[in-house]
Amino acid sequence: MPGSQLNVDVEILKLARVVDCEASDLGYLRHVDPQEIRDLREQVTVLMFDADRQMLQRVASSAKLIPTKLAALVGERAFGPLLCARLTGLLEPSRAVDVAARLPTPFLADLAVLLDTRRASRAIAEIPPKQIGEITKVLAENEEFIAMGGFVGHLSEAALRAAIAVVSDETLLRTAYVIENKSNLGALVATLPRTRLESIIATANESNLWIEALDVLRHVSEAQRGELGDIAAGQADEVLNGMVRAAQRELLWEDVLPVTRAMSDDSRARFAALKSIHTRPVLASIVDAASRHALWPELLQLLPLLPAAARRRVAALGTGFGRPVLAQIVGAAHERGLWGPLMQFATELEKRTQVLIAKLLAAVDDDVLDGLLDATWEERLEPELAQLCSLLAGTELRKFAGRLVKRGGDEFVAALRASAKEQDLVAVSKVLASA
Amino acid sequence: MSTKGARALEDELGGRPPDGLKALSDSDLRAFAGVLHEARKRQSAALESAVEQSLEIVPRMVRGPVRKVLFG
Repeated sequence: MPGSQLNVDVEILKLARVVDCEASDLGYLRHVDPQEIRDLREQVTVLMFDADRQMLQRVASSAKLIPTKLAALVGERAFGPLLCARLTGLLEPSRAVDVAARLPTPFLADLAVLLDTRRASRAIAEIPPKQIGEITKVLAENEEFIAMGGFVGHLSEAALRAAIAVVSDETLLRTAYVIENKSNLGALVATLPRTRLESIIATANESNLWIEALDVLRHVSEAQRGELGDIAAGQADEVLNGMVRAAQRELLWEDVLPVTRAMSDDSRARFAALKSIHTRPVLASIVDAASRHALWPELLQLLPLLPAAARRRVAALGTGFGRPVLAQIVGAAHERGLWGPLMQFATELEKRTQVLIAKLLAAVDDDVLDGLLDATWEERLEPELAQLCSLLAGTELRKFAGRLVKRGGDEFVAALRASAKEQDLVAVSKVLASA
Repeated sequence: MSTKGARALEDELGGRPPDGLKALSDSDLRAFAGVLHEARKRQSAALESAVEQSLEIVPRMVRGPVRKVLFG
């Protein structure tokens, strides 16, 4: 997948910076898992600090003896960005900030690229927002997305705002994609006003950065995912179609479906109405993603919103579903209260699959059956349930009818019988009467 | 990991590398051990030279105390 390959490249580049070589020199690591490369970097970082720890510590101590202005001069002229980056975490944070205030911005930008942000976290947090903005501007000009991504989570909120203010939407998306700690993406998104988020989503489409944008959506909270999904759904068709094309091309439906889950009903309806998702290849990819990543609830939510022709295509795709997959779908309908979409969808499937679903429903536990019966009563799903019952025969039908009578009660059974009669499902009507 | 490359990398790291590196060939492991070795050498040399240079930059009056902190 392009996403994981890019993560490998990012991790190799980060490691290359720690050992002061070109990323291309470490090309043999491209087949190693990104997390393993990250673990290796951690080991190597400790090693590089420990290698000269005593001398680095002495330098940091000697820096206390000279005026700040002179320390900055020595840092810039004698030590250079790499050694200054190593020293930053060893200085008192306030002293590091004072020295940084006297260093030129391009030097600080070079130093920022080489800094181990966790070791220098306290100093980073104390750098004034204005200076952070200035450094960020240079980093953005140099396309140092990884370095910028390493700072998120260590900056004060004011500094984060100052940094965001000086970078383009494209830079922000590229930075978010390579951010060191993805759990910080929520805080980053939270600082962005709605107008900026709208502009970022439009940029994702214009600059072909949907992989980056969808990666953000994957890592934020469910509420933020919903908010961003609603903003996306509020954009022109062209933008949403761009997202569909990217999701199809890069196999990103596992990221898109959770967004449709989190968005509002109106937004979901708007998404489901997009002609670009009604094609057979796209629907096949969506069904495949639902199957691979247990995203049946998300698919069930979308189904009733699709036009009849698209639903029929999904039903045709469901023809090959075996019993284990259908059991997953039934389980999802129960857990998320999506019996309505499931029952409607079931009646659109071809008969063999309908029979499998009917048999699964007949064999569910009592608590699942109670959920089905409640939904049937509340959503008037008696016609669909009667149809599915009619696919059972002999003992299986009699046993299921007995359970329906026992757990549904008189009023429910009367309604189900009436529906069976209306549809000329004589066997169902009879067995319910005698159960 | 028992190849020469693996042992060279373990020696450089001072511990076992992550398991995922087992997939690398012996020559790749040796190459990475070499990268690490060179990086440490370069850093130490750069630090030594930077310390020397810094003593030339600091004014004569504080050079003594600074030298004392640096070299004991």
